Amino acid sequence: MSKGSFLYGLWCCGVVALFLMSAFSGYSPFADGGRATRAGFYAGGPNHK
Amino acid sequence: MSDPAINAITCPACGGTVEMRAAGYSVTIVCQYCSSVLDVANPDVRIIERYQEAARALAIPLGTRGTLRDVEWEAIGYLGRSEGGYYPWEEYLLFNPYHGYRWLTTDGRGWSFGTMLTATPDYVSHGVLSVNGETYDAFFRGDAQVDYVLGEFYWRVAAGEQVQTADYVRPGTMLSFEGNESERNWTLNELLSPKEIRAFGVDPPRPWPGSGRPPLPHQPSPYGANLKSFLKLGLITFAALIFIIILFGRKGEPQAFTMALTPGREAISQSFGPIMLPRPRQAVTISAEAPGIDNLWVDIDYALVDRKTQASYEAYGLVEHYSGRDSDGAWSEGSRDKTTKLAVVPAGTYDLVVDASASRWSGSGSSSSYATDGWSGSEPSVSLDIRIAPGGFFLSNFWLALIVVIVPIGFLLWRHASFETARRNESDFAASDSDDDEDDE
Amino acid sequence: MLSVNCPNCGAEVVFRSPALPVKVCDYCRTAVTRIDDGVRAAGEMAVLPFDVSPIRIGTRGRFDGQGFDVIGRVRWGWSDGAWNEWLLLFADGRDAWLGEAMGQFMLLFEKPLEGSLARVVSRLAKGGDATIGDKAMIDGIDYQVADIKDAVCIACEGELPFTAPAGWKVKSVDFRSNTGACASFQHDGTEASLYTGRYVTLAELHPQDLRALDGWTIPSFAA
Repeated sequence: MSKGSFLYGLWCCGVVALFLMSAFSGYSPFADGGRATRAGFYAGGPNHK
Repeated sequence: MSDPAINAITCPACGGTVEMRAAGYSVTIVCQYCSSVLDVANPDVRIIERYQEAARALAIPLGTRGTLRDVEWEAIGYLGRSEGGYYPWEEYLLFNPYHGYRWLTTDGRGWSFGTMLTATPDYVSHGVLSVNGETYDAFFRGDAQVDYVLGEFYWRVAAGEQVQTADYVRPGTMLSFEGNESERNWTLNELLSPKEIRAFGVDPPRPWPGSGRPPLPHQPSPYGANLKSFLKLGLITFAALIFIIILFGRKGEPQAFTMALTPGREAISQSFGPIMLPRPRQAVTISAEAPGIDNLWVDIDYALVDRKTQASYEAYGLVEHYSGRDSDGAWSEGSRDKTTKLAVVPAGTYDLVVDASASRWSGSGSSSSYATDGWSGSEPSVSLDIRIAPGGFFLSNFWLALIVVIVPIGFLLWRHASFETARRNESDFAASDSDDDEDDE
Repeated sequence: MLSVNCPNCGAEVVFRSPALPVKVCDYCRTAVTRIDDGVRAAGEMAVLPFDVSPIRIGTRGRFDGQGFDVIGRVRWGWSDGAWNEWLLLFADGRDAWLGEAMGQFMLLFEKPLEGSLARVVSRLAKGGDATIGDKAMIDGIDYQVADIKDAVCIACEGELPFTAPAGWKVKSVDFRSNTGACASFQHDGTEASLYTGRYVTLAELHPQDLRALDGWTIPSFAA
């Protein structure tokens, strides 16, 4: 296996490890909330023109 | 007991002693001292063409030996060739009395090791031939001429000699045809690694893209092998991600609560509990649904408060639905339910505090289904159903991981494609833009 | 095996194959021919010019599981070169030719010119012509004419199925296929013969007693 493939293998292992950790502790950078500040006032209405 | 391997002859043009290294096979010798072309098919050496010029200095001086693919070869002949004076290349004839002849070919971009075939290739389909079960694609067709000759050859060779040529390629190997009305020959040219050609004391040329010239027609993509292992690793990673989702993506038993809201009124705050979170850390999935609402939005502020520590985990949710009619007909948008996920909530006993308020969309113009002016009457209340469950799975995490895994593959694929485009652009059989390239040269 | 004295110089001449009528005396190059009551001299053969062929009389080998000895050679020349044809005697008494040209080897057995022949072959047998690329089906194999030469015998040595005097003119037509099978047709103006077989490498023949050449290592497959 070439150096490139080896590095990519490491890269993939890293991704799997991070994914596993986030799945285990319920983490996501895209979560709607956690210890976050409160959202401001929302002015509702459709986007329809 | 060993027989001599070299037969010395005297050049009848200059009197120099010329060593014949393939006696019995050689037909033509070009004298290394005066460049005269000699006929050595018979014991009486005849001059075919008389010259008096110094021989060209060669990258591999004739008589040089080198070991290629476990066999020692001696360079005995040299041909300078071209396509009508363009695209010049060089060919060295190699000889070993026990293994016959081979060719060493270069056009400055790399070296190939050629073996003449004894079987004619099989026709597979238009522009595709096969040899030993491997297929070759048509790449180039032309007429080759001999521009310069030095050393000895097993046929009557002369400068100016012309043959038709055709090249077929697969990564690493070129299948070359040369023919005229009396002979048809096929040669398999294997691309030599830079290390292999050093056996003949030659410095290997820089490979593409450092060479500044297009890749060789039979040059394998330097990304091809990596691409295959990358794809394999990518698939394994994908499977691992799916496995992790199945293992950790499950939600716990949900608890359901209901709130009643009146549009236009102050926000109502209500607390539900207890909610038990069993794992040390976990996501929490809260879904809100306001069935049947229209032209309304409901702001929801969630706060998950630990009964012991009073630590609060907060999120915001919104359900909204609008509809109407305009010149294009009826329209509707929004969603009457919304799932909100909290990340990394520690174990404990919690209360869910929900602050919710419903607001009516005042509409715009006559297209609204409600008359807005003067509306202040008692609105019917809206029910908001809330379900909360420990656990849950972030699909966004999966997409992010997948992108991070795919990006290197995409990069490699792009490099591979640009190599293949550069390689194929040289072909007579390339698609579309090959003609433009030829005009530029 | 038949051992006689050369009618010309008296040296011992050994016929190894009862089927082959001619042996060129190793010492005086007289063609010793077998007749009903012994042997007779049939003229002196030309000297073989120097070459660096790896084969020599006495080289042994194996082909399709059968052992063979190299017992004779004819060297042919044409306007643009020359080639060797080595006569092989197999353990079961059959003989075959090992053609050696341009560093490539063809092993060929004679095939009687009888029964239904490919059109090109029957035309050639009648003294007609062929062109490069002509197709011929022989024993179920598709061949193409690859080479047509007017050859002249240069010299010969060892045991032979015929006397091969220098200057003997023969038309030689080679056939190739897409499998490595090959065939050769020869016509000397009075008699025609056809040979079929295939291209071989020296390594495939498991040769022993190859000719040693100064400065070259005998390959491991022959050691």
